[in-house]
Amino acid sequence: MRSSINRPPTPDVDEEPEKEPTLQEIINIKLIESGEKEKLMELLRERLIECGWRDEMKAICRAYARKKGRNNVTVDDLVHVVTPKGRASVPDSVKAELLQRIRSFLTSAAI
Amino acid sequence: MSASNDGNSSPRSQLASRCFEDLLDSIIVDVASECHRIARLGLDRNLEEEEEELRLSVQARVADPSSSTEANSKNVVDIFGLTHPAIADEIFECMNCGRPIVAGRFAPHLEKCMGKGRKARKVTRSSTIARTRHSRGSPVSVYAPYSNATNSNRAPNGTTGGSGEEYADYPYGVP
Repeated sequence: MRSSINRPPTPDVDEEPEKEPTLQEIINIKLIESGEKEKLMELLRERLIECGWRDEMKAICRAYARKKGRNNVTVDDLVHVVTPKGRASVPDSVKAELLQRIRSFLTSAAI
Repeated sequence: MSASNDGNSSPRSQLASRCFEDLLDSIIVDVASECHRIARLGLDRNLEEEEEELRLSVQARVADPSSSTEANSKNVVDIFGLTHPAIADEIFECMNCGRPIVAGRFAPHLEKCMGKGRKARKVTRSSTIARTRHSRGSPVSVYAPYSNATNSNRAPNGTTGGSGEEYADYPYGVP
């Protein structure tokens, strides 16, 4: 069977061949374009470092690497190890602050 | 969750939560990637130190065969700085026959003394049978004054071995 020489057109970045950009994606784009996403990331990073969350996660990774042998760990492994604990141990105040910022952004972006 | 804007605040809250989770995931990946780098490049000195310690301890064990204080401890110093002779030389009394025994020779002595050896079996045959019947075959009963092997309790401190099961009732032993 001859493989088709008519390739389907390369999908554009903006146009999803499956569906319209979701609300989530629109918001993401707006966040990035306005520079707010960067600010939020910095804020979250700073808060998580202050409260010791980052050190906790690093300790978990270190313990895992020690157990598994430091040359046998992959980034994937570490992400899977850290994600559940990481998500659960964000302090409420940090989470509330970030959510407040995001919500006011949403309001100002009229979504 | 207190989203106090519109009456129906859940879609917006949901959106906000998802944005937050997105941010958090990115940061998690950052942390994971940094830890991965540290682990792989061996920058974490603690990890290294542990591995070194393991290696050293294995080496020490292999290179110096007399380093174990249990086996073959001729010239070896234990953690308190004491040395021990190869055969334990403390002398005490056998609680079965009452003879002074060198501790390092206690096990072979017990074999003969308690009936596992050929000679002992010949001499004390009847009492051995009675003993095993009561003690369910465990030779440990010799120095357990409250066990049910009352016949075998021939300790020289004056306990009478002939009086029934009463010793079994006192869990803390009878003088």
